[in-house]
Parts: sequence; C-alpha cells; structure tokens
Amino acid sequence: MAFLRLQGTRVLAVDLAGDAVRAKNGAMVAYDGEMTFKKMTGGGEGLRGLMTRRITGEAMAVMEVKGHGTCYFADRATEINLVRLDGEKLFVEASNLLVTETSLRTGTTFTGLRGASQGNGLFTTTVEGTGQAAILSDGPAIVLRVTAQTPLVVDPGAYVAHTGGLRQQLQTAVGWRTLVGEGSGESFQIRFEGDGLVYVQPSERITVGGQL
Amino acid sequence: MPFTRINSKMIEAQIAPGQRVFSQRGAMLAYRGPVTFTPSITGGQGGLMSMIGRRVANEATPLMTVDVPAGPGGPGQTPSGTVMFGHGGHHIHIVDLTGETLYVEADRLLAFEGSLRQGTMFMGSQGGVMGVIRGQATGQGLFTTTLAGKGAVAFMAHGGVIELPIGPRGPVHVDPQAYVAHRGDVRNKLTTALGWREMVGRGSGEAFQLELSGNGMVYVQASEEKL
Repeated sequence: MAFLRLQGTRVLAVDLAGDAVRAKNGAMVAYDGEMTFKKMTGGGEGLRGLMTRRITGEAMAVMEVKGHGTCYFADRATEINLVRLDGEKLFVEASNLLVTETSLRTGTTFTGLRGASQGNGLFTTTVEGTGQAAILSDGPAIVLRVTAQTPLVVDPGAYVAHTGGLRQQLQTAVGWRTLVGEGSGESFQIRFEGDGLVYVQPSERITVGGQL
Repeated sequence: MPFTRINSKMIEAQIAPGQRVFSQRGAMLAYRGPVTFTPSITGGQGGLMSMIGRRVANEATPLMTVDVPAGPGGPGQTPSGTVMFGHGGHHIHIVDLTGETLYVEADRLLAFEGSLRQGTMFMGSQGGVMGVIRGQATGQGLFTTTLAGKGAVAFMAHGGVIELPIGPRGPVHVDPQAYVAHRGDVRNKLTTALGWREMVGRGSGEAFQLELSGNGMVYVQASEEKL
C-alpha cells in the first residue's frame, strides 16, 4: 500500500512496496530503491477518458510510478497539501494535481462559466474513491468549510480545489466603474453553497476577471 | 560556526577580527561593525592560476571577500563584525564541513568561510565521456566547484532543500534539474531510461537520472528550476 507523507511543505515522499501511484509527468526529484516511470496516455482513464481530455483541453500528463523504496516529488517549489478521500469527490484543476493513489479514479466534468473566468477552461478534473491525493497550491492553502448557513465566496484566481456536495455559481459585480476602468479588481467571484470544503491559495492566478 | 540562519532566506555571519569570508558579490544585505568588502578579482582562492582555471571553466561567479581587519590594538581589541547575506529570495541551506568535500555549482554558492579550500573539478574526471554528458544534462556545464576542509558553506536552492543520505543501502537517484549539491565520497553517474516511449514523444519526463552511490549526502531542491 502506497504511503504518502510530507517532507517539509514542498516535498512529498511516497513509500512504495511493489505497488504504484500516479503522478504528474516529470515531478520526481529523487528516489532510492528501484523505480520505473511510465507515461500513462490520457491520464490512465482508458480510450474514452483520453478522447474526453483531448476534446475538453483538460489535458493531464500523468506517469505511473512503480517499485520498491521511497520516491520524492515536488513541482516548482509550490506547497503540497494531502487530501484523504473516503468515497467523496474532489474537484481540482489538472495542473494542481501532483500525486494520486491508484485506488482513486480520475475524470473530467463540465464547470460552466466559472472555469472560463478562472482562466483554466470550461472543464475540471475530478478525483473520487478511497485513498490519498496530493494537490499543489502556490503558497500554503487554507481550507474553508462551507455549511448551509455559511456560504462562501472565493476569488476565481485563488481557488484551488473543493470537496463535498457544493453548488457553485459565478457572481459578478460589474458596474459603471468597471466599464470606465475604475474597477476594484474583484468583479468576478465564485459563490459556494451547500456542505463541503474549499481549498484557497494565498496567491491569484492571472485571470480575465482579475483584471477588471 | 560563523553562519546562523535568521529565517529560511537570510543568514548572518559572525566574523572575528582577522577572519575572512567569501561571498557572492552583491549578496550583502546589512552589516554591523568594522567590516570591509573587497571584490575578489581572482574570484576566490588559489592565486592567478586558479583564477585562469575558473575563467576557462566558466565557474567564475563574481565573489567578494568580507573581512574584519585587526585594529592597532591587536585582535583582542577590535570588535567583531556581523554581516547578513541573502540573494534573490532563494532558500539558503547551511552545511558544516568537517574535512570532506562539497561539490556545488558556483552560481549556487552564497558564502563560505575563508578556511575552506576552493577548487574546480572537471566532470570528465569522474566517469570520462559519460561525465561530460552528465554535466550537459544537468545544466552544470563541464566543471563544478569543490570546497574542501573545515568550515561552513551557505548555498542557495529554489524552494528549500531536503537531505538524502547515501549509504550502503543502495544508490539514490536524483532528477538532474533538482540536484543542488553533494558531499562526501560519492560516485555519480548519469543513467538513462530511454525507451521506445521517449522516441515517440510519450516520455514520462524522467528519462535522465543521476545515480549517486558511495557514502555521503545529496541535497535536492523542491523544484526543477534553475536559479
């Protein structure tokens, strides 16, 4: 059984005993023992998954790491967060997904207008099943709980991932000020309602909405 | 040890009168006491021949000497100096050498004690032609800087450093782009895992690996970016 643990906040160590994990292509920084790296075409989701990813542009370059020993992963010195899933679904951008256990299934879903405002397309990656996943965030991510009484509004550029039964909708605050170039830079927001967790990073991606 | 860390990106050096520290030129942030900074034209130790060697080897990062001159009252009368170093917001790692050799790229060096012997090593001397290829693959070039003796070294890495011990348990493999430095009695060689997948552009991105074996320590950064 693969065992994921953090070595500091930016390096993920995975102990393998003959089993495998799926990782972002090229994210290995070091290993001891015996490891083999094999690229999985189409994110290891079969032919249908491959076609979906090609069409949706949510391309995910994934490799299968298999062997005995400890393998270390890191990506551009960004912070790593471990997420344990017990049957629920994790929504995350493909570029923010570092490692998943093989017991987890990955797929693609349609996100609608929100995706476009985040600057990462109309589709997002889903991870479901039981096991651990490691997600990347630019700076240490905070986890915010959403309940029925307390909805949450997030800047699209700072959103990283979410789990649980959440409804999301894009809300705009575009007024005459935005149109004359005096916007506050917060014209687009995502509103989460329901019950679940949202991961927010202390940094904003360059988005179309963020400029207004 | 003259180097103490202030935070992950800044270090402080205590320099006693008559002592000397080499640092990358322009890496001083602040200082206290009678400290002088002199650009080191020869780029480190060892006189003119070493300087020519470093120029030829392209391992000549501009260095400066930082020292506290002993005053007229003798070394006991002069106050010691304190200098803070940092560069480019990179994470800094301090290593204490006790007689072994540290192999590190010149542009990753932030500061080191004057008691250490600086040298340049030809990659081809370890592993011949494969050593040369390895230097190219890691982006290190054909030469690397060595520091030997007793003293402290501070070097920079993108996103912090993890230390992996190399021992009799077997070799440690490192992504050439994430490799920062190593110390001790270590043999390294470049291993390739090139197969038909790489040829058709379906590579896993891990085609080249540095295999380190022997006895020592390797420093790996949490990123695959150069400084």
